[in-house]
Amino acid sequence: MKTAQKYAHLALSWVCIGMLFSCHEDQDIGLDNTYQFIRPAHFPEPVYTFENNPVTKKGFELGKKLFFDPILSRDGSVSCNNCHIQGTAFADAQQHPLSVGVEDRRGTRNAPSLTNLAFMKEFFWDGGVTHLDFTPTNAIESEVEMDESLANVVKKLKAEAAYPPLFKEAFDIEEITSPYMLQALSQYLAMMVSADSKYDQYVKGEAFSKEELEGLALFEDKCSACHAGVLFSDFTYRNNGLSDTFPDEGRARITEFAGDIGKFRVPSLRNVALTAPYMHNARFKTLQEVLDHYDTGVVDSPTLDPLLKKRERGLGIALSEDEKTKIIAFLHTLTDRTFISDTRFMNR
Amino acid sequence: MKSIQLLALSALILLFSACKDDELEAQTFGTFEVEFDNRVGSEAISLEEAGSQNYSYTTASGQAFNLSLFGYYISKIKLEGPNGELYEDEMKVSPHADEVKGFYQVLQSEPASRFIQLENVPAGTYHRITFTVGIADEGIQDGAAGGILDPAEGAWFWNWNAGYIGIAMEGSAQNSGQEEVVGDGWTIPAKSFALHVGGWKDVPAATGEEQRFVNNVKTISLAFDSGVRVGEALEPNAHIVVDVLKLLGNVDFSTTYSVHVPKAGQPFAENIPAAFILDHTHQ
Ligand code: HEC
Ligand code: HEC
Repeated sequence: MKTAQKYAHLALSWVCIGMLFSCHEDQDIGLDNTYQFIRPAHFPEPVYTFENNPVTKKGFELGKKLFFDPILSRDGSVSCNNCHIQGTAFADAQQHPLSVGVEDRRGTRNAPSLTNLAFMKEFFWDGGVTHLDFTPTNAIESEVEMDESLANVVKKLKAEAAYPPLFKEAFDIEEITSPYMLQALSQYLAMMVSADSKYDQYVKGEAFSKEELEGLALFEDKCSACHAGVLFSDFTYRNNGLSDTFPDEGRARITEFAGDIGKFRVPSLRNVALTAPYMHNARFKTLQEVLDHYDTGVVDSPTLDPLLKKRERGLGIALSEDEKTKIIAFLHTLTDRTFISDTRFMNR
Repeated sequence: MKSIQLLALSALILLFSACKDDELEAQTFGTFEVEFDNRVGSEAISLEEAGSQNYSYTTASGQAFNLSLFGYYISKIKLEGPNGELYEDEMKVSPHADEVKGFYQVLQSEPASRFIQLENVPAGTYHRITFTVGIADEGIQDGAAGGILDPAEGAWFWNWNAGYIGIAMEGSAQNSGQEEVVGDGWTIPAKSFALHVGGWKDVPAATGEEQRFVNNVKTISLAFDSGVRVGEALEPNAHIVVDVLKLLGNVDFSTTYSVHVPKAGQPFAENIPAAFILDHTHQ
């Protein structure tokens, strides 16, 4: 009897699991998928813990409201949207090479674009945060960003008439607490999937121009060892030769390992044409400058990536002007107009 | 489609509950209390105001100090008996405060937090307790959590290197190198110290490379002198002494007064096994 029951369990749970998952596939046309997380068919499995925080319309909308609300900062002057703007794929505005927080305080790093976060295991340039839910707290509590305490944000949200009913609707809770606020933000953030660029169309069979095709081939040859795969990053930490002094130690801050000084996360290059300036310290204003760096600017240091030491003479990656032009043409195919004009993310 | 799904789910739930009932019939349960008794050597702890220069204790190497805050997280409690008896405290991370299970913050300033009541322990004899000091990956990688794990409710959380501080020791020491720091709405008093022991990432070093990351989460396993019986109408207890002097070891406050990264906390974490001592059990 017991064993029979067990098998019945197993069979049934597979049926259930099968059904649950079938709702999340790309092909589910005809249903309203507006507030479903959908993995693009050519993307890997997401790593975000959706099982603990399933996306719902109410949760997503609450997350969006929080994202645009300066109540999250100490003096009510800065919202997440100050540094993460949809028009630049949720990177910083270009006039802010390093982030600008309350009282115009300057940060030390360039705000990265927020896309495809549900596929990422580690966050920030140094990978210090290992779950998407914990990313907003860094901005909220950073003295140079929002300079507010999580406890006080919760207190302010409780006192603001609009919020308690919204939390109740989204999570069925009577009292606002920080984990639910973080989950709402994560729902909004995790839905930021950029997978409809010209490159994605190309992957699905659309044509590239001759220049774009040549650019892709050059990219695969010279760049994709680090900017790998469909997310254009292997999510390792490397030193790409920006300098031989490291006021910001990067990955070593987290690993406490001298061999990681000067290493930063290989950033995704999706929407890169929109996210200038470039690098963790906003060193370069244009993609041309970035490619000039790889060609002639790479500086040696003990942690410089071995891949940038493979040239016969000098360091970096040999690139002719013609090759640079073609790679830049290819990088422009990573711009996803659908994503930056997706009305779901807009503060309406 | 929806209704089939519901049907399948409810069938599943029914089946699961059926199993549980079968097992319940045979078993009886009791409680078990774990008491953490924090001390400095042989003395009881009395906390001072932060910044107080009234030094009641001395370290093994003779440095005078006091404590203004002392506490730690305990998780993953397990009891084992000689005949296969096994109790594993349920562990659960949830945004909902009431659903968080198996994590405890023992705070010297909150006497009640020193007593952990384990419920529904299968009746039997137990001779060993095992628990974790600090919070390992399962407390972090499930995402934002409520209650005892909610930083807005006082949980000790590092934002920049996401994870919980496992042990916090704060106070003042006569020879502390700390100078006064006055910030925007906060002060670090002169002669104070703050030793925060955290870090949970456990990544073995690649061959030929130094260790990256420091894992300061420690698992402690303590044997009882004799078997302790758990059952209906019994109120057994394990009394565990936690000795701050042993945790501090040979600290030199003149150089070590501000510990806020895993590597600097490692020497204290290495002292954890010696500092958690089974004093006695009550039947
Ligand atoms: C003052 C500017 C500023 C504000 C305001 C701000 N951020 Fe950021 N954000 C940054 C910077 C700079 C980084 C990169 C920090 C680093 O790597 O250390 C970042 C990184 C992130 C990341 C990690 C992205 C990745 O690829 O690893 C997420 C997610 C994020 N921010 C979300 C938010 C949310 C949500 C808010 C509002 C609660 C917010 N940010 C407010 C500047 C800001
Ligand atoms: C050895 C690994 C490696 C190789 C090869 C490499 N990159 Fe990078 N790339 C990095 C790292 C690491 C960063 C971030 C460095 C930092 O900010 O400190 C980066 C940053 C960038 C950025 C800035 C992105 C941003 O959002 O700020 C661009 C653009 C870029 N790389 C393009 C390229 C191109 C094009 C190639 C090929 C010509 C290339 N990379 C080859 C590792 C590499």
